[in-house]
Amino acid sequence: MTDTPLPRPLALLAEVTYRCPLQCPYCSNPLELNQYRDELDTETWVRVFNQAAELGVVQLHLSGGEPLVRRDILDLVRAASGAGLYSNMSTGATVVDGNRLEQLREAGLDHFQVSLLDTLPESNDRLAGAPSFDRKREAVLGAKRLGFPVTLNVVLHRQNLDRIAEVIALAQAWKVDRLELAHTQYTGWAFKNRAALMPTRGQLDRAHAEVERVRAEGTGGVDIQHVLPDYYFERFPKACLQGWGMVSMSVAPDGFVLPCQTAREIPGLEFPNVREHSLEDIWERAPIFQRFRGTGWMPEPCRSCDRREIDFGGCRCQAFLMTGDVTATDPICELSPHHHLVAAALEEAAQNDPPLLYRVMPRAGGAV
Amino acid sequence: MPQPIATPVLAPGTRYRWDKVRNQHQLVFPEGMIVLNEPGQAIVQLCDGRTTDELIAVLKEKYPGAEPAGDVHEFLGHLAKRGLVREGAQRD
Repeated sequence: MTDTPLPRPLALLAEVTYRCPLQCPYCSNPLELNQYRDELDTETWVRVFNQAAELGVVQLHLSGGEPLVRRDILDLVRAASGAGLYSNMSTGATVVDGNRLEQLREAGLDHFQVSLLDTLPESNDRLAGAPSFDRKREAVLGAKRLGFPVTLNVVLHRQNLDRIAEVIALAQAWKVDRLELAHTQYTGWAFKNRAALMPTRGQLDRAHAEVERVRAEGTGGVDIQHVLPDYYFERFPKACLQGWGMVSMSVAPDGFVLPCQTAREIPGLEFPNVREHSLEDIWERAPIFQRFRGTGWMPEPCRSCDRREIDFGGCRCQAFLMTGDVTATDPICELSPHHHLVAAALEEAAQNDPPLLYRVMPRAGGAV
Repeated sequence: MPQPIATPVLAPGTRYRWDKVRNQHQLVFPEGMIVLNEPGQAIVQLCDGRTTDELIAVLKEKYPGAEPAGDVHEFLGHLAKRGLVREGAQRD
C-alpha cells in the first residue's frame, strides 16, 4: 500500500434478499442459496444505510435476488432517500405494478433498472424460468411514464447475442435512458454454466460491429454501455471493483459484508457482519477488506508489473474459480502462468453445448 | 454546433448533492457522479425552470464584474451532451 489515505467508499450494493421468482442461469447469487436464509430486518438495513451515508457512500444499489419481494421495500427506499443516498434499484420487475411504481417514486427512488433476458418473449421466459417478458415491458413503460430514469440491463451470452440489434431496437422503442449490454461474467451460476453460455468469437465480432454501427449512426437517445468480455478480447484483466476495498462494498441479505458480492463463494475467507460491526469499522479494519487491498498481497507476475495499480491483479473470484488459488493473477492476463486456462475454456465451450443449469430458488421464507 | 439550451433543467434522475463527508458539490446520476467546482454548482443549482438568460443574470448579480455567459453556455452544452441537462421549455 502507498501512503495515500484510504478513500471512502462511493458505492454500496445492498442485496436485500436472495429470494427471487426468476431462475436466471447466470445469477450472481451464491450457488448454495439455502445456506443464507436469515435476512436482516428493516431496522438493521436502515442503520446500515445511515452508516453508509456517514461513511461517504453516494450510490446505493438495492438489489437481490428480487428486492421487490421484501414487504418493507418502501421503508428501505425511504430510509435510503432520507439518508441522502442516491438510490438505484435493480429488479426483474415481475412483482411490480403501476401502483407500486408510484409508491417507489414517492418514497424517493432515484433510478429504476430492469433486467431483460431476451427480446423474444418465449426465449426471455425460458431463460428466466418463468413468464416475465410482458411484466418487464409494462414495468419499463410504467416507470418511464412516472418520470424515472430507466436502465435496461441485458446479460449477453451464446443464446441471445445474435439478437443484439433487436435488443438495441427494443431499448429504443421502450425509450429507456440507458442500455447495459452486459456480457456474462463467469462467476456464481454463470461459471457453472460457462460452456453453455460462452459465445463464439464470430458472434462477438458481429455483435461488436453492430454496436459500433448504431453508435456511428445515432443511438436514438439511448446511452449504450457495452464492455467486451474479457475471455476473448483482453490481454490484461479487468480492474475488478476498481481495486478490492477501494470504491465499493456489498452487504448480503444476512448482513455479511463483502468486498464484492460473489466473494463469499471463495472458501476460507471470513466476512464481518453488520449485526456486530459498523460499516466504517469494517471498511477500515476488517481483515477481509485489507486482504487484497493495494499491491502488497500480490504474487509474481503482478508484484513487479507496471500494470499492478491499473488492474490490481484482476478479479479474485475469477482467479479462484479458474485456478483454485485466490491469490493467483487473474488468468485473463497474458502474463499469468494460468493463461492457457482461458483458451481451454473457450475450446471446451466450442466443443460442447450442455443444457443450462437453472438457479434453484429457495422455498419462501426469510425474516421479512 | 447544437442550439444553446433556452431553459435548462436537470434530466430525470440527475440531482445536485452536497457531500458533507468529502466537502464536495456533486451532480449524481444513474451509475455516475461528477464533482462540481464553485461556478459549476452555482449554474447547476439554477437549472430549475428559469431561462438561460435569467440564470446568467442571477450569476452576474451574484458575482459583480463577471461575464459568465460564455462559460454558462459551454458548461450547459457539456452537461447536455452527457444527457444530464435538457431543454425544459417548448420552443416557439
